[in-house]
Amino acid sequence: MNRLKCFNKLSSNEMIVVYIIVVLSLLIGFVNPAFFALSTIFGTFRSMLIMTIFALCEMIIIISGGIDVSFPAIASFSLYFTVSLMNQYKIDSVLVAFFLSGFFGLAWGLLNALLIGTFRIPALIATLGTSSLANGAVLVYSNGREISNIPTSVDAISQKYLFSVTNTNGGKSSLTILILFPIFLCILIHWILKYTILGRKIYAVGGDYNAARIAGINVKRTQYIIYTAAGFLVGIAGICNTILLRNAHPSNLMGAEMMVIAAVVIGGTRITGGHGSVIGTVLGVLLITLVSNNLIMLGIPNYWQAFAVGLIIVIGTSITSLKAKKIALSPKI
Amino acid sequence: MITLKNSFRKSDKNMVSLLAIAIGIVAIMTAITPEFLTGSNISSMAFQFPEFGILCFGMMFCMISGGIDLSLVGAANLSGIVAAVIITGMGKSSFSVIVGIAAAVVVGALCGLLNGYLIGQLQIPAMLVTLCGGQLFSGLGLAITKGPAITGMPNSVLAISNGSLGVIPYSLLIYIFVALALNFVLKYTVYGQQLTFMGTNATASRYTGINNLRVTMLTYMLSGIAAAIAGIIIISHYGSAKSDYGTSYTLLALLIVVLGGVAPLGGKGKVLGVTLSVIILQLISSAFNILRFNSFFKTLAWGLLLIVVMVVKSVNQDYSMKFWRKKL
Repeated sequence: MNRLKCFNKLSSNEMIVVYIIVVLSLLIGFVNPAFFALSTIFGTFRSMLIMTIFALCEMIIIISGGIDVSFPAIASFSLYFTVSLMNQYKIDSVLVAFFLSGFFGLAWGLLNALLIGTFRIPALIATLGTSSLANGAVLVYSNGREISNIPTSVDAISQKYLFSVTNTNGGKSSLTILILFPIFLCILIHWILKYTILGRKIYAVGGDYNAARIAGINVKRTQYIIYTAAGFLVGIAGICNTILLRNAHPSNLMGAEMMVIAAVVIGGTRITGGHGSVIGTVLGVLLITLVSNNLIMLGIPNYWQAFAVGLIIVIGTSITSLKAKKIALSPKI
Repeated sequence: MITLKNSFRKSDKNMVSLLAIAIGIVAIMTAITPEFLTGSNISSMAFQFPEFGILCFGMMFCMISGGIDLSLVGAANLSGIVAAVIITGMGKSSFSVIVGIAAAVVVGALCGLLNGYLIGQLQIPAMLVTLCGGQLFSGLGLAITKGPAITGMPNSVLAISNGSLGVIPYSLLIYIFVALALNFVLKYTVYGQQLTFMGTNATASRYTGINNLRVTMLTYMLSGIAAAIAGIIIISHYGSAKSDYGTSYTLLALLIVVLGGVAPLGGKGKVLGVTLSVIILQLISSAFNILRFNSFFKTLAWGLLLIVVMVVKSVNQDYSMKFWRKKL
């Protein structure tokens, strides 16, 4: 019995992703030993930052049985309008930047919630609509131009590091302080999903909408909480992106929704709702980031990358979906 | 008179409202600017809409089956690229053009079959499969072209979207042919009926003995073929093939299909409705062009329109449900 438990644990979804990550890292390191360095780890963390926030929000929404493809557009809208307004009114405060950006995101999240919760529009279509609306609005407002002068105090955060390490040949690699935010978020969301009534409600709504309603859960309110909270967090992710890249671009986040959904699904969250974990999602993000950042180190030419990433996503989602199907069909005791 | 009244009563409410919207747009735009109803504007509209109009039929079939196809643009570009590679590789003769077009259709069908297999056999949700499929197809297209566009299409290819038979463009003829063929398939074939049944209730259709897997694969194959035809018109329109042409068409196709009265959850949809809705969107798009609106403005307008249409439909449905409950 104990051995079976052990086997189940070792063949769980999360562990499969771990195996793939280990094999891939060894492979990359074998071809290019420069991979095994502290700077690679810091770089990977840095590129995971925004995607982790997106993926955690996406995971909660997918667990609740919905989907959201409007994150990149909402984040772009929030970051651009925040920076633009702060420049216009000469406000130079970190707190204002974060709250303003979060507020814009929250407003968009509320619109999503209204469309999905109140009007019962299929989540994919509703969020495609909001995505186009938000993206169009920011493009019309900005005319496609980026803002490169960010308020100084906000810009200063990009130079704040959690810790820096100087390696043997004088190069300095540092870990940005912003990494604390996704780490905090991971712990918070893990706690909410696992130990609070709200978390149980989210799983219940995703597992079976009608059963949840009959069991007395206010489904509409749960959906409102999820979508608005996701909007708020995505807005903050937007301003984090501005700080990391040190400019405000109206559309360079666009297209990330695809990768985010792929990361969540590869991490073992079932697209039909009701299942998913924070650890799996973070591992999924790590895998996707490793693949999209390091294929060049394996000697795969640039123009094959989109295809390779697509292939990994298709295979990854097929495996997790097959596993889910197998579990669903297996005899229940 | 009575027959006219009857036929009006029988006709779909949705069609009537679509027709009213189209007439309304034309009336308003003619009032604003005389440029709108000129022959040159009408002919330029007729040249523009077939390429995304045909994509919409692919989306429509998938949506009737209860799924969705977000890989249309990727499949269209991939087929276009394959056609372009074959045509330029075989010396641009008219024989090579035929081979290229045939190969594009085969590639489109294969893309669709892959989607259909994953959806029908492995039971992965259509949304996820086609989202990933789109990435895969456009990635493959990028790998084939290695980045830059494939240029140098012979005149016979360029003629597909730029030439016309009398006043009717070839591309419009292709559109009409595809529309009629799909209308026939949907209304008068066993497959069309099975598709509607499956879209309405997949479990019930399985119990009545319909092979759901076969219907799903056929549907996505048809969608892939529609994408391939659109892909050929796209390379003819641009005079080149690239992996990121027409990226805005996915949302546009979704908007058109939903506006055209296809139920997002499956089981309902008409070729005529989608055609009317394609024409409406082309009218709006031309209106924006004439009024010199920024091209970014279109992105915003399509999003807004999609949301408004869905909200109106949702409110309408609630209202009619309440109405019927009262009546019963």
